[in-house]
Amino acid sequence: MKKEKEILKWLNNDLSSKEMEDLKQSEDLQTLEKIAHYASQLETPKVDAQTALETLKARNHSKKKPKERTINFKTFYRVAAVLVLVLSSGYFFFYSNNTSFETQIAQRKTFTLPDNSEVVLNAASKISFNEKKWANKRTLTLKGEAYFKVKKGQTFSVKTTDGIVTVLGTQFNVKERKNYFEVHCYEGLVSVTHNNKTTKLPPGKTFRVINGKVENVEDFYATNPSWIQQESSFNKIPLDQVIAELERQYDLKIKVDGIDTSKLFTGSFTHADKEIALQAVTIRLKLSYKIEGKNIIFYNYGAQ
Amino acid sequence: MSDDETTLCDENHFRDFYLKQVQSASNFAYYKCGDGEAALDLVQDAFAKIWENCSKIDFNKAKTYLFTSITNLFLNTIKHQKVVLQYAKDAPNLDTNNQSPEYLLEEEEFKQKLTRTIASLSETQREVFLLNRIDGKKYREIADLLGISQKTVEKRMSAALQILKAQIENI
Repeated sequence: MKKEKEILKWLNNDLSSKEMEDLKQSEDLQTLEKIAHYASQLETPKVDAQTALETLKARNHSKKKPKERTINFKTFYRVAAVLVLVLSSGYFFFYSNNTSFETQIAQRKTFTLPDNSEVVLNAASKISFNEKKWANKRTLTLKGEAYFKVKKGQTFSVKTTDGIVTVLGTQFNVKERKNYFEVHCYEGLVSVTHNNKTTKLPPGKTFRVINGKVENVEDFYATNPSWIQQESSFNKIPLDQVIAELERQYDLKIKVDGIDTSKLFTGSFTHADKEIALQAVTIRLKLSYKIEGKNIIFYNYGAQ
Repeated sequence: MSDDETTLCDENHFRDFYLKQVQSASNFAYYKCGDGEAALDLVQDAFAKIWENCSKIDFNKAKTYLFTSITNLFLNTIKHQKVVLQYAKDAPNLDTNNQSPEYLLEEEEFKQKLTRTIASLSETQREVFLLNRIDGKKYREIADLLGISQKTVEKRMSAALQILKAQIENI
């Protein structure tokens, strides 16, 4: 097929009559003319547009709203939880550097802090502090009872739920138990902040709060707490606190039967012998005890 | 004709668009599948698709979208059938003055050959050829509808013509 360009133009109605004549002269167009003519006589199925539109409308179609993305909250929470876990563990691992020491029931441990201050932890107690920041800030958190021998230097603080004990360099004992907060000063000067009130303790003085009440305590002359020497001493302490201490030093459960546990106890018990310790407490208060498995029951002497 | 505000989501606009395009869309579908009912189904599906996605379709490209959708739906669903077209009943012969029985018979024969040959064209050649011949569309228009270049349309047209001519003259 020569003159292809012109033929295409012709079928596209782009040829002038002059050009058309030229094309007819140069090429045999008979067949093509017939093709062009008869092809345009072909018929297609006629569509009744209105009816078709009604049919289309009858279809239950709805516009697609611009896609709403619903967040899958389950997945979202999972991802969030993992992120929180990773980030926070990373944070604690790299930044907080918390060091903690802990003792179990009937255990006692001695630790040295980064500045060579000494801590003796009594049974069932825990201290924690930030080792990295220790050089700037000697602060630790205490749960339970501990005896501190602090090297001279910056302020040294012991935080407890009942108050803050601040010293410069000294020896002192902090006992923080349930409904019980007691600080003994053995050397130097200790300041205790409890309920926003600060009390200064010189050696031999005690700051004691039992059941939220600050108590006056007689001076003492010991140079270190008796529990360091395997003995727990009490000076007018309610029986329930003494029992709690017994339970911490010996793995015991003590129950009382018909006894007023607010009864005050003055005296001590050893950490070395359970029988002797129990007797030391009971005899002085005119009590008896019996052993039922792991449980000890205190009762009034002669009552059973 | 369309300002930027024109959107197919508007029912009136959609109706106008539908009524204007449905016949040529149906023709196009028919050139592909050779079955009037199937062609209309394709067209309806394509329009439904446009309605569903009206917010995403540029009004000026809606025609192209329509034809492309028909092509895609056709490829997805319809088996190829032989496309045999019918002539309009009172279609005039090329030479309307010649009423001799020989001539009429000759022309009738030619017409039969033509439909058979059109049926043997490839789908792309046939649709271009028939869009031009039956729908009277220019190459430029066809190119826009199919989303291809005018050059491609011309190539297909030219190929279709050559095949038709060669085949008809051979028989």
